[in-house]
Amino acid sequence: MSIPMRTGGPICGRIDRRTFLADVGLGFTGLAMGAMLHKDGIAHANAGAAWAPPDGRPHFRPRAKSVLWIFLSGGLSHLESFDPKPALTKYAGKTFTETPYADPLRSPLFHERSRAVVGGERPYPKIFPLQVGFKKHGQSGVEISDWWPNLATCADDMAFVRSMYTTDNDHAAEFQMHHGRHALDEKQPVLGSWVHYGLGTLNENLPQFVFLGQYKDMRVKQNFAPDYLGPRHAGVELSLDPVNPLPFGTRGKGVLAREQQEQFAFVNELNRLAAAAHPEDEQLQARIKSYELAFRMQKAVPEVLDLSRETAETQRLYGIDNPTTAVYGRRLLAARRLAEQGVRYTLVYLSDYGEWDSHLDLRNLHARSCGRVDKPLAGLLKDLKRTGLDREVLVVCCSEFGRTPGLEVRDTYKMPTGRDHHPHGFTVWFAGAGIKAGTIHGATDELGFHAVEHPHYVTDIHATVLHCLGLDPRQLDVPGRKRLEIDHGSPIRDVLS
Amino acid sequence: MRTFLLIGVGLIALPARLPAGESVDYLRDVKPVLRERCFACHGSLKQQAKLRLDTAALIRRGGRHGPAIQAGDAEVSLLIRRITEEHEPARMPPQGKPLSDKQIASLKTWIDAGAPAPSDEIAEEDPRLYWAFQKPVRPPLPSAQAQTCRCNPVDTFLAAERARRGVQASPPAERATLLRRVYLDLIGLPPTREQLQAFLADAAPDAYEKVVDLLLSSPQYGERWGRHWMDVWRYSDWYGRRSVPDVMNSYPQIWRWRDWIVRSLNENKGYDGMIVAMLAADEVSPDDEESLAATGFLVRNWFKWNYNQWMRDNVEHTGKAFLGLTLNCCHCHDHKYDPITQQEYFRFRAFFEPLELRHDRVAGEPDPGPFKKYVYGVAYGPIASGRIRVFDEKLDAETFFYTGGDERNRVGGKPAVSPGAPAALGGDQLRIEPVQLPPQAWYPGLKPFVQREETERRQTAVAAAETALEKARTAKDAQKSEQLAEARLAAARSDLASIRARIAADKVIYLGAKGDAKVMARAASRAEQQFKLDAIHVSEVQAENALESARQQKATPAQLLPLEKQLTDVRAQVARCRAPVAEDSTTYTPLSRIYPRTSTGRRTALARWIASKENPLTARVAVNHIWNWHFGQPLVESTYNFGRSGARPSHPKLLDWLAVELMANDWHMKPLHRLIVTSEAYRQSSQFDRQSQNHKIDPEDRLLWHFPPRRMEAEEVRDGLLFVSGELDLTMGGPEIPQEQGLTSRRRSLYFAHHGEAKMEFLELFDAANACEAYRRSTSVLPQQALALSNSELALRQGRVLARKVWRAIEADTTLVKREEAFVQKVFEQVLGRVPSTAECNASAVFLNRQEELFRQQKAEIDAANKPAVAGGPSTDPAVRARENFVQALLNHNDFVTVR
Repeated sequence: MSIPMRTGGPICGRIDRRTFLADVGLGFTGLAMGAMLHKDGIAHANAGAAWAPPDGRPHFRPRAKSVLWIFLSGGLSHLESFDPKPALTKYAGKTFTETPYADPLRSPLFHERSRAVVGGERPYPKIFPLQVGFKKHGQSGVEISDWWPNLATCADDMAFVRSMYTTDNDHAAEFQMHHGRHALDEKQPVLGSWVHYGLGTLNENLPQFVFLGQYKDMRVKQNFAPDYLGPRHAGVELSLDPVNPLPFGTRGKGVLAREQQEQFAFVNELNRLAAAAHPEDEQLQARIKSYELAFRMQKAVPEVLDLSRETAETQRLYGIDNPTTAVYGRRLLAARRLAEQGVRYTLVYLSDYGEWDSHLDLRNLHARSCGRVDKPLAGLLKDLKRTGLDREVLVVCCSEFGRTPGLEVRDTYKMPTGRDHHPHGFTVWFAGAGIKAGTIHGATDELGFHAVEHPHYVTDIHATVLHCLGLDPRQLDVPGRKRLEIDHGSPIRDVLS
Repeated sequence: MRTFLLIGVGLIALPARLPAGESVDYLRDVKPVLRERCFACHGSLKQQAKLRLDTAALIRRGGRHGPAIQAGDAEVSLLIRRITEEHEPARMPPQGKPLSDKQIASLKTWIDAGAPAPSDEIAEEDPRLYWAFQKPVRPPLPSAQAQTCRCNPVDTFLAAERARRGVQASPPAERATLLRRVYLDLIGLPPTREQLQAFLADAAPDAYEKVVDLLLSSPQYGERWGRHWMDVWRYSDWYGRRSVPDVMNSYPQIWRWRDWIVRSLNENKGYDGMIVAMLAADEVSPDDEESLAATGFLVRNWFKWNYNQWMRDNVEHTGKAFLGLTLNCCHCHDHKYDPITQQEYFRFRAFFEPLELRHDRVAGEPDPGPFKKYVYGVAYGPIASGRIRVFDEKLDAETFFYTGGDERNRVGGKPAVSPGAPAALGGDQLRIEPVQLPPQAWYPGLKPFVQREETERRQTAVAAAETALEKARTAKDAQKSEQLAEARLAAARSDLASIRARIAADKVIYLGAKGDAKVMARAASRAEQQFKLDAIHVSEVQAENALESARQQKATPAQLLPLEKQLTDVRAQVARCRAPVAEDSTTYTPLSRIYPRTSTGRRTALARWIASKENPLTARVAVNHIWNWHFGQPLVESTYNFGRSGARPSHPKLLDWLAVELMANDWHMKPLHRLIVTSEAYRQSSQFDRQSQNHKIDPEDRLLWHFPPRRMEAEEVRDGLLFVSGELDLTMGGPEIPQEQGLTSRRRSLYFAHHGEAKMEFLELFDAANACEAYRRSTSVLPQQALALSNSELALRQGRVLARKVWRAIEADTTLVKREEAFVQKVFEQVLGRVPSTAECNASAVFLNRQEELFRQQKAEIDAANKPAVAGGPSTDPAVRARENFVQALLNHNDFVTVR
């Protein structure tokens, strides 16, 4: 939620400055916000071509109103979750060349789809067996590992894309998953920022791009950084800590509600007096509005994050009654409440940074992490369905990459028991609005190595999300900022309803 | 509702003409398409296949394969065949999407209509003749009148342009407004109430000029303008994984570069010299320790994980910061707009190819140790002392051409690329001469402070060992303790003797002191060996004592065994050590790492070419930034791109005049600041009438017919909160302060950690610079800014401090009758730099009364809410609390964050 003054960043290309001054008076509507006060410092790639910032309306009929983007950091094993491969158990301990299948390390895809920032390639040719059993679920008969007993019951409400790949074999792939570019390439705004930039607000009193999660590693912030779209399109970090749910969104210690209300009123009075003296000052009008919004936001955010307003039954559905799952259940329930109240895009960071990075002891570590989020994720899907929100809210769940079919061996490992990073093939799943439930799309090879059938780079997920929201990423391009075809991606039409 | 375009339209069916009745205009429908998609290869820049498409006449003439079109018949026209070619490799344009059906239809319709075009169409000029690539010459002042009057030249250029466009300048700003404007502009802090009153009372005709001179000589000038340049030079403290900690980007101790920037600006160093220092201080002034920190400009781009990335950032940001060139565009292909080839991209990179980082020891600080080369999988934490800088390590480093922006795609058989700058800018024939470095630069252990500190440290150790020996003699087991203490003293003494001998040898061998080098080296070698022997002897005594104690305590044979083995091992070491002492060795350990004795001189050549008065871009790019920071809008909108795809200047002559003026002043910036801020344009009012003719003609104020008001930058907001309440800590320089202290520390904002990993939240909300790219800042108005100014600990606390401070002054003045009125007035002057209007006074009085009344009624509540009381918390006295509320409200006034 923001009132832009001057669009961000350096510029290149040809210049055609103009003022987009839609409304400096009282008609401050949601849709006009993006354009209310927009002094454009942006260059125009195309001389003479008119360019205007988005007007907040979708480009075509949207299928979803809002998005819950759920991220599992560190690299969830696709093999021990949604793409189990019996061949791994059958040929356990053998090298790839000893199987009847083509050696994935010799495939040209091995080099094409991986560009190391750090270290070398990760060829682990000795097959590590599946660490958990799996069964077919639902009408689609999708194979899901036994570590997801709750989520598996929602199989028919989900759509799986088993043919994802990315190009960084280290953890910068996490940020790549959000902004679409390899770590060695120029950064781009993250998907949430594009959505925020492209669409008007659903609720003036709430930020429209929210981050929910806890982390110590500051790089996590890159997942909600707007880059050249500017700070007004950054994800706003909300916290489930009732003491400080919104940055600077709590009255100072000892300050009374009434006291602050009077103070806000006085600030507005002074600013209106100043506005009379400076009728030319467009920024002043915006600032007056921003104080009104701030005051409402300060009130609205704690209310929407107050989970005690939910029934005990709903809280149980999300696993909030169980200490193992409570943290994750609370985060997802809060995300549902935000979507319900009109937050456009919520990034739920559903793990610690790097939590799923099981180089060793995958069996125990993955089982532990699955145990934390399985019930809450299932709870979310069930809750969306019973409330009908599944017709408005799109859910995406992903990790930055999968894990190697081969056993990770290193000099320092006494007993190798895990899998390394694997950008060449992994799974994401969708659910909710706009999604054709029960779909299984794309496939990795028999060893779960390369995405071979309908391969998709990460920006195809972005394109799918934008498509569901009624946005064409090409129409969001900012002049002077080069977006490549690969940045735009293509919607994965098979998973769309 | 817009129509959705199918993504990835791949059909190249032959598109039809435009529907009948839709006409095609060459300039509107055809030329823009050709310019966008074709000119880069078939225009004045490259003329591939001898074909140019930049005028209709040239299109008809065609190229190597004949005319590009047959007027009147689109189907047979070569141009149409090539853009509709179904076989993709042969289709034009070769990169990007095919032309759209509509674009093709327009072209066809135009050709069928006989390819009509204006007869006076002018072909694209030779890119090498583009204005920005010509050396600026000082233009004459625009009119005869301007040439004779004693006006500020800046104004004469602006006035001429305004007159041409029929726009009138605004009257001068009110004096109070002007004072606040120039204070914030030059030092980043508002004037105090006292400074305001002194200025208003100064009737001298040069009152304003005196203030300007005072501000330019204030140390805060360097901090304010240093922060500006830090934006462009991408200042960044180290980052990567600060929570581990693990350094990946930039480097610890780089704050010395920040301090160098501030100091250099305050000393009015020339911009040319600053460029040379930042790119090549290690070559041009290798003995000047302070200026070595300037190479932070290159250190900042360092990336532990990927050397190529370091090189890429060096090229891109040297190009953008100093030259306004987008060299990065030629990483993957020849530049699409500017006369720079991909080969020249790699030639530019070759200037930096020999680079590596190095830690230098700083006097009075612990030795940071040697720079650690990256080993996969190993995190390494920050150094806590010393200086980080660059040097040429690989003197024969070769640069290789690669394609697709990916260093794995080295083109086989292509020889290494030699260093050079773009030929179109006259940079391809630079003379590069290796630099012989002075001994202390390549062997920093020769520096007197290192020798002194190393000696002193050992002297202290000897004294401590002597004292320990005295003590040991009176100890319980005197014999054993004494034996050990004696061994330790002997080791300390031989350590001292060793360092003295090594220093003496160094002086003879490297610094030309008198003596026989061989003899000295032999003595140093022997002394060092003696020390090693004595040091091991300490271990021997310790091992003996341990064994003996164990025996006395009747240890079991199993317990004794390891102690016996230990003693045997130590004795074996002693024996090994003894042998070399006898040997006639001349080798000894140097006092520091020894680096190459020469540097390639590549960066010096580059830096001198950039910082030359012959370079067409350097001065223009600099004055454009300076202008932007004074007026909030640049003369060339694309501050980092002066190439053909960048913007044209709003006032080309003014830009050139300023560029020449900067160089004529030997690149000193202060005279330029003075010239600009004393211009009438700068002193104009910022108020204007939206209905005026001026506004109709130039709503963007490109002609500067009024001063453009602006919101304070992030640092000004935070520093301002502290400054108006009299609590800003003006301590300068030093290591970066953790971001977490942003709301509690009282230091200026530029001293806080600023890097690519995370930003201080308060500053970020007010559009602080992106540490990775900030060639221009943006400004936003966010509700979160309102929350930060209303609720942050910082704003609340400083409001309370100021309320108390002002009230105390009022109470001290016994002559005052209307205290509340005086309070309101003083706070307005201190916070907003102006007096309140009558309406504002009235509103303020009402507010103060109302709040006081509120607190009286809710006294029990405010008492309860304040328990336990915290330092800096709200007052529970109703009147005091009301005044606190009032000051806090003024800190939220739009005028506080606005510069008019």
